[in-house]
Amino acid sequence: MDMLATNPAVHPTSTAKQAAFSPYADHGGTNLAIAGADYCILASDTRQSSGYNINTRFAPKTFKLSDKSVLATAGCQPDCNMVVTRVKHSMKGYKYTHNKEMSTPAIAQMLSIMLYQKRFFPYYDFNILGGLDEEGKGCVFCYDAVGSYERVPCNAYGSASALIQPFLDNQVRNKNQQGKEKVTEFDPVARLSIDEAMRIVKDAFTSATERDIYTGDFLQIFIVTSAGVEEQLHPLKRD
Amino acid sequence: MFLTRSDYDRGVNTFSPEGRLFQVEYAIEAIKLGSTAIGIETSEGVVLAVEKRVTSSLLVADSIEKILEIDTHLGCAMSGLTADSRTLIDHARVEAQNHHFTYNERIPVESVTQAVCDLALRFGEGAEGEKSIMSRPFGVALLIAGCDERGPQLYHTDPSGTYVRYKAKAIGAGSEGAQTELQEEYFQTMTLNDGFKLALKVLKQVMEEKLNVSNIQVAAVTSQDGYHILSEEKLQSIVEQL
Amino acid sequence: MVGKNCVAIASDTRLGAQAMTVDMNFPKIFPMTDHTMIGLAGLATDVLTLRDQFKYKVKMYHLKEDRVMAPRTLAHVVSSTLYEKRFGPYFVEPIVAGLDPRTHEPFICCTDTIGCIDFAKDFVVVGNATENLYGMCEGLWEPNLEPEDLFETISQALLNAVDRNALAGWGAVVHVITPERVITRNLKARCD
Repeated sequence: MDMLATNPAVHPTSTAKQAAFSPYADHGGTNLAIAGADYCILASDTRQSSGYNINTRFAPKTFKLSDKSVLATAGCQPDCNMVVTRVKHSMKGYKYTHNKEMSTPAIAQMLSIMLYQKRFFPYYDFNILGGLDEEGKGCVFCYDAVGSYERVPCNAYGSASALIQPFLDNQVRNKNQQGKEKVTEFDPVARLSIDEAMRIVKDAFTSATERDIYTGDFLQIFIVTSAGVEEQLHPLKRD
Repeated sequence: MFLTRSDYDRGVNTFSPEGRLFQVEYAIEAIKLGSTAIGIETSEGVVLAVEKRVTSSLLVADSIEKILEIDTHLGCAMSGLTADSRTLIDHARVEAQNHHFTYNERIPVESVTQAVCDLALRFGEGAEGEKSIMSRPFGVALLIAGCDERGPQLYHTDPSGTYVRYKAKAIGAGSEGAQTELQEEYFQTMTLNDGFKLALKVLKQVMEEKLNVSNIQVAAVTSQDGYHILSEEKLQSIVEQL
Repeated sequence: MVGKNCVAIASDTRLGAQAMTVDMNFPKIFPMTDHTMIGLAGLATDVLTLRDQFKYKVKMYHLKEDRVMAPRTLAHVVSSTLYEKRFGPYFVEPIVAGLDPRTHEPFICCTDTIGCIDFAKDFVVVGNATENLYGMCEGLWEPNLEPEDLFETISQALLNAVDRNALAGWGAVVHVITPERVITRNLKARCD
């Protein structure tokens, strides 16, 4: 009797199974940044989702790094957290060795290297680094997952980037508007006041929330000026 | 001071009962045998000046290099066993380039000085994790000059791995006389040209040979032009002002 | 896009096979009646076939009924034509835009490739830059725009959207349908 129970031929279905390992997940969410003449605005929604489920309505993914820099992350939430932790760690080390706070362009270069070091098992994380540069001008750096980066006047990343980016091109950079001053390369947008930029940011997010199911709940806005970083929280649609 | 040989002056990592590391102290003595080097910090930039010992008329004076570039904004003058400085300066150069690569900015002067000093004590058997690169202390002192966001700065490092910032500093054979002279002549509002003149004046006093454009080397580090060696014409014009 | 007593319909002019651009001046919007237009985005051969088929149906309606087909009616013609091929569909997403022939009430709608109608009061978008277009339209559109303002709004929405889409652009055409006339303008766009 025992023989029957242990004989594999009697249990043809008891073969070894392999579970697929998938190290990445997409948690949705959208980030946006605009560099002004002497300020920088970073904004992100706080919804975190997995597929059609909402994990939480308040999961901030933008973090203040110093009085002059803020980092916005979107993609796989644990990867984002790891990147933020490592950047903060390196900034502390830098402060101890060099006796000064790391500048935003310095963080930008370091973050690029940090991401590229994981070139063949990348962080699934799309970053926007914003703040003030050494001259006090607003600056925005946007990255791909493996560290390629660029200084830009404004940028949108995340699940609603396709919705927001052309809107920013039009409203911030004056693209396709004949006779209006063009914003080129990485120059901060000199003509926009903070209030005007804030209006565009809020418009962009209410629009994106209408059509993108991964964006919504709350809008977290960081305003970086020479006075420091101001944080605001606004409601977005929750449907 | 070192009249009696002691058992404790052999091991490089052994303290004497009085709490001294003889080998390090001897290394500091070695610098006093080297040619004189002077550094002067002014508000416009830092001056580095060294004497070159042209011991023979057959010696090609240009081949003696005692002021070297570390990065575009950093220069370095040396005295002592100049061959030892190669390791230190190589290290400083790598550190400077690494910093630029990682942070896309120039390395601060103090940081590069600290990096050099970290290396200075890596002699002997080597501590955990760190490979020892020298069996004895480095026999060279450096004057590291540079400009960063904190302005022009001059640092002095010695074989003990200590670094101190100076407004004006002399090292090498003539350092004692030169330092006294610098102390008397230095003033806060010096221009770069005042710096050149003072450096050469002091150098002239302490050099055994007669000072001329081919037995000295002078460099400046300014915020605008960074590190640069002075041309012979420029040297000539300063010598004439003395 | 709906305005005050007017509607606007616009498209880019690119025809391409994947990344290869074949034609930079390929019309995708066709007049059906004096006040109704249809836009067809998708497989070029189906675009041409359906254009002819809808034109035929609109004309036959006109002859049989002796009245002009209303855009709402055309929408249902489009829907049933596409649904006939439910299991071997045309690869086309249509937009119908027009004014009711009698009341001049604005009407717009779009359908998917098998004819499911999406009526809208504000704007509809189809094709391969829909995400970009949704973002632009949500940001720019407002109710009761006059024809010239509607023209500017739809043009800005289209141009900025296709500039962020590698497979769309190369020029654009905009029609604004008012009770009196149809304003048609060809727009220059980035060709990269």
